Formats: sequence, structure tokens, C-alpha cells
Amino acid sequence: MKAVLAGIAISALALCALSSQALSQELRMTVWTGSEAHLKMLNGIADSFKTKHPDVTVKFETVPVNDYTQKLTFQVAGGNAPDLAWMMEDAAPAFENAGLLMDIGPTLKATEGYDFADFSQPAMALWQKGETVYGVPFSTSPFMIYYNKEMFDKAGLEDPLALAAKGEWTMDKFQEVSKKLAEANPGKWGFEFKDGEGYASRMTHALLPPIRAYGGDIWSNGECGFDKPEAVKAIKQLHDMVFKDKSIVPPGEQGDYFSGNSAMTVNQISRASKMAEAGFKWGIAPLPTGPGGEAPVIGQAGLVVFDAGKNKEIAAEFIAHMTSKDNVATMAQFFPPARKSVLDSDAFINGNKLVPAEMMKGVADAIANGRVHPAHEKAPQILAAMAPRVDALWKADADVDAAINGICAAIQPQL
Amino acid sequence: MEAWLFVSPSAIGFLIFFLGPLCAVVYFSMTEWNLLTQQAAFVGLANFKNALLENPDFWHVVRNSVIFALGLVPLNMALALTLALALSRPFFGVVFFRTVFFAPVVTSAIAWAIVWKFLLQGEGGFINQMLAIVGISGPNWLREPNWAMAAVIVTRVIKMVGLNMILYIAALQAIPRDYEAAARLEGASRWQIFRMIIWPLLAPTTLIIMVITTIGSFKVFDHIYQMTGGGPENGTLVLAFYIYQQGFKFFNIGYASALAMIMFVIVMMLTIVQVMLRRKGAE
Repeated sequence: MKAVLAGIAISALALCALSSQALSQELRMTVWTGSEAHLKMLNGIADSFKTKHPDVTVKFETVPVNDYTQKLTFQVAGGNAPDLAWMMEDAAPAFENAGLLMDIGPTLKATEGYDFADFSQPAMALWQKGETVYGVPFSTSPFMIYYNKEMFDKAGLEDPLALAAKGEWTMDKFQEVSKKLAEANPGKWGFEFKDGEGYASRMTHALLPPIRAYGGDIWSNGECGFDKPEAVKAIKQLHDMVFKDKSIVPPGEQGDYFSGNSAMTVNQISRASKMAEAGFKWGIAPLPTGPGGEAPVIGQAGLVVFDAGKNKEIAAEFIAHMTSKDNVATMAQFFPPARKSVLDSDAFINGNKLVPAEMMKGVADAIANGRVHPAHEKAPQILAAMAPRVDALWKADADVDAAINGICAAIQPQL
Repeated sequence: MEAWLFVSPSAIGFLIFFLGPLCAVVYFSMTEWNLLTQQAAFVGLANFKNALLENPDFWHVVRNSVIFALGLVPLNMALALTLALALSRPFFGVVFFRTVFFAPVVTSAIAWAIVWKFLLQGEGGFINQMLAIVGISGPNWLREPNWAMAAVIVTRVIKMVGLNMILYIAALQAIPRDYEAAARLEGASRWQIFRMIIWPLLAPTTLIIMVITTIGSFKVFDHIYQMTGGGPENGTLVLAFYIYQQGFKFFNIGYASALAMIMFVIVMMLTIVQVMLRRKGAE
């Protein structure tokens, strides 16, 4: 009898605990960062949301970046979509067209002091269709040159930031400097493509900046751009750098910039958090210019709310909170803002703990002038169709023209 | 009733995790299903027609899978048998050597592939530096389609050979020593003993090993995923990886299911052929 009573008492207690939990809401948000510094900042923003909604907690769920879109898709397909998520630019069109994302425009515009018009129009292009707002960019991050100052000094060369200040940081100079760096640092390279993945998952990120510097694009308006004269010049120059000058880390080799094996690489400002432990002097400079003038490339990521979510109204409010002027300014140390007021602010240029003001100015300029990587609903298919042709391109004895034509022949049907 | 209760744990697991998904795949293979929009349309045999008759990629991929199997199965079995013959009898240190050859089997496939990818780098790789010492200029292993296929086959064989070696050792130890002793009294050479006594007695084991190794070689995925990603120039794009690409990268679940059904049929037919050959041999 005692045991039965005890059992009833415990069950009742458990029930009470459950029901009080039901009153509080937990939002689940998927992100691809596992960085402690990033998560600390995000949790701080979630805590400050409690002033408006004391019962709402936000749980950030890290999904590794390489599988991010795939895992997110399966969560959605399995009926277990998160309430809100970071979304990559290349995935955004597919999710928008599938009708999975909530129109958060009304919530944002109704939020006091939000100032929706403060977001730069080019930065919103990917996330807005007419009056419908599918997301808010939280990171509008230009591609920059990271350089190893010590390797430049060793080779007796001016660094890219100094060259850029003089207006001499061009594609030709980039080639010349890379070659000298490789010669001065035997066993190392002048340049490494983004994340060392330039021949694989980041093949378009490797080719896009030089192609834009020459005035071309990888594709636009449904037309392949690789075989246009500007792009061909850019690709040939890169090919020479890899196989003639031997100044770019070639396919099949590993020459990690962050461990000091390459003098330069291309990456975004969020990687500055990784530089703290690199153990060498470093700097950030704009991408080299070319005949096409300045051509900054921007990688973007947005915040979205899933339409199927149970707490979507609260989730939309959380996005409004997260992208308020104050919080955008807080996030700006890692994730460059799309808010004009923050971008122009003194705090953005001077307030970064990792990157000095003279370099942050370059970042701000690049955001103002930059264009995002071309997006496409069928981005994964396009990349897969390109991959074998790009493999054929990156060989010492490749027929570069034929390989480029092959790339266009492979992707044109998908575009 | 009790009997059913006793088998229920495994029976329920079998139904939910094996039979259910298997039937689902049959149905999915006849739909065009967009994972994002959750819209599935019944398309009959269109996916099969697309794969078998229309899509040139499919036959290229099947060809790669066949090359992979033809390279891997004989190499794996020959090496496994050689190792087993050397290590089936007790001698000082035998356990150590068995462990050394078996260890890769229990190593994480991804870790194994990452290490090999590192060793097989173009100029800076350990393998090519060793080859350079003896005056050989090694290829850029994972960037040339044919060399990449050879590299994934050989590294896979080294990883998995230990399992087959253990099976062969067990089979060898089950052969009564008297047979060999009697044959030796009759003046049989070592080769004759192997050819006339050991090899025929190993036949059932050989069949099993051949079947599981062939099936395994058609199902290879993790190794390809990590080492080459199907490249270069689609040179190592094998069936299982292609299915993954279609299903989990492009989200063509219907088409991927149809490919999985085709793979199932191929593997089943190969197994039946092998069993029939064995029966014929036994007669």
C-alpha cells in the first residue's frame, strides 16, 4: 500500500514538473558554428531575449557545416524542423521555392525601433521577393585575402595591405608576389584556395574572385560564364600559377594557411577567430583587382523561420531581436552586418578585437561594393555536373580551353 | 503465444528496421518525390527507365563498381589466403602478426581514409617520397582517374583483408592434420597438398568469403566518400556513392530508391551465380 501511495505521489510530482515546463517555450535553432566564442555570443543574445519573453529559451544546435543543408533537409522532411535556422545562400532558393519558410516581414516591420529599411537592398536580394521576406542576412561577409606577414617579410616583399593602399594590388601583382613567396619559402606555397577546398567543394569560390576581377562571372541570367573571354583569362592565369609558377597549392597536396604552410589564402572575417591561435603575424587585405576593376565577392547567410514550426510567431520575434541594431552591432565582430547604420558606424571599424581598423575599413568597403556568389535552386546538381570537368582542368597538361568548354557544356542544361 | 512473445523483440526489430524500409524503398522507387516540398507523385517505372536506358551516368557508374569489385575481390582473397596460410600454425609471435593484420578491420573507416589521403598526396606525400628514394616518380594518386581507382582498391584491401584472413585461418585449423600427414607419407609435395587437399576443403569458406566480399565491394561508400568523393573526373564514382549523391545531395529520393533496387538485384544475381557455380563444382 505504501509503495502504491509513494508511486502516486511521485507521478503527481512528475506531472507538475512537466506541466510547468510546458508553460516555458524552447526554440530550437540550428547553426553551423561550433566555435566557443560564437556560441557564447549567441547565448548572450538569447539571454537578453528573456527581458521581453521570460519563459522563452533558445537552444542552439550545431550541425557540421559540410552536412548542414543535408541534415536540415532531413529534419524538415522528417517532420522535425527546427523553429529557426541559419541558412546558407546556396540553399536559400530551394527552401524558399518549396514554400517552407515563413514570411517574417510583418513581424519585423511591426517591431518597435527595428528600422527594416536600414538593411542594404543588395544584401536583401536573396531573401526578399516583392513584399515577402523569407529571411534576414546575419552575415554578409566579403572574401578577403589573409596573409602571413612573416612570410612576406622573409621574402622582402610589401604586404597586400600596403600594395592595396598604393593601388597596386592587382591580379598581375598577386601572381608575381605569390611566385616570389613560394621561391623564398621552399616547401611552402604562395597561396592556398579557400579552406584548401578549391579543387573540391569550394571550386566556385576558388574561381569566382579572379573571374570577377577580370570583369566576368561564373554564371548570370541562366547563362554559363566560364567560357567568356574575361573568365578564360582569369582561369588561365590561375592555371599558370598552379602548374608553371608552382605558387598555389596544387591539387592533391595539403598546404594549410592557418598552420603556416601558405603565405596567403582567401577567407571571410569569421575566420579571424582562428587566427588568434595561428602563432604568426598576419593581416587582411582586399582581393586583388583586375581589368574589371574592384570586384568584391560576398558570402551570405541568413536567419529563417520554418513555416511548419509550432512556435513560429515567437521565433520570428527572436529574429527581430537578434537582428536589432544593437545585436547586429554585437555580432559584427564575427559576422559583418547588412545594416547600413552599423556598417557606417565607428564601432564596426574600430571595435573589432581581432582585426585592426585599417583592415576593417577594407571589409566595410567590400561589403558596400560586393556582390554575392550567384545562387541557384539546383546548386548541388550544378556543382556535381561541374566537378569532373573541373578535375580535368586542374592538370599540368590540361587543354584549358577544352576543359572550360566542357564545364559550360555540363552546367548549361542545369542553369 | 509464448513462442511469439519470445521472438517478438527481434521480430519487431526486423519488421521496423528491415522489412518496413525495404518495402518502402520499393514504393519510393516508383515515385518522384521532392523531399523539400514533401510532394510525391507516382511515376511507375519511369525512374528505372531513366537509369537503365536514358541516363549515361548510370552505366558509367556501374562500370566503375564492376572495376572496383574485379580489382578488390581477387586481390583481397589472394592476400587473405596467403596470410592465413602463413599465420594458421602456431609460432612465436603469431598472435602479434594476426593482430597487426586484423587491426585495420576495426579501425574507423573515415580515419583510415584520411590517413591514406595524406600519405597519397602528389609530391609531398609519404608514398611518393619513398618512391622517389628508389628513383620512381609516383603519380598524383588521387587526382588521376585510373590511379585513384587503384589507390582506393588497394587501401580498401589492406583495410578489410584481416577479416577474410581470420575466416580462412578458422577454416584451415578445422582441417584435420592427419590428412596432411597421410599425404606427406605418400610423398606429396607442399603444392600438391595445398592443391589437392587444402584448397578443396576450403571451398565452402572460399564461397562465403567471395560472396560477402563481392557484396561488400558493391556497397563501398565511406571509403570513396572520404578519399575521392567520386572523383577525379568521376573515375571512382561507384554505385553506392552515386545513390548517396542522388538521394542525399540532390534529394531525388525516388530516383535514388530505384538505383538502390537495381543495386539490390545486381548483388542478388551475383550471389546466386556464385552459389550455382559452387554447386556445379561440387558435383
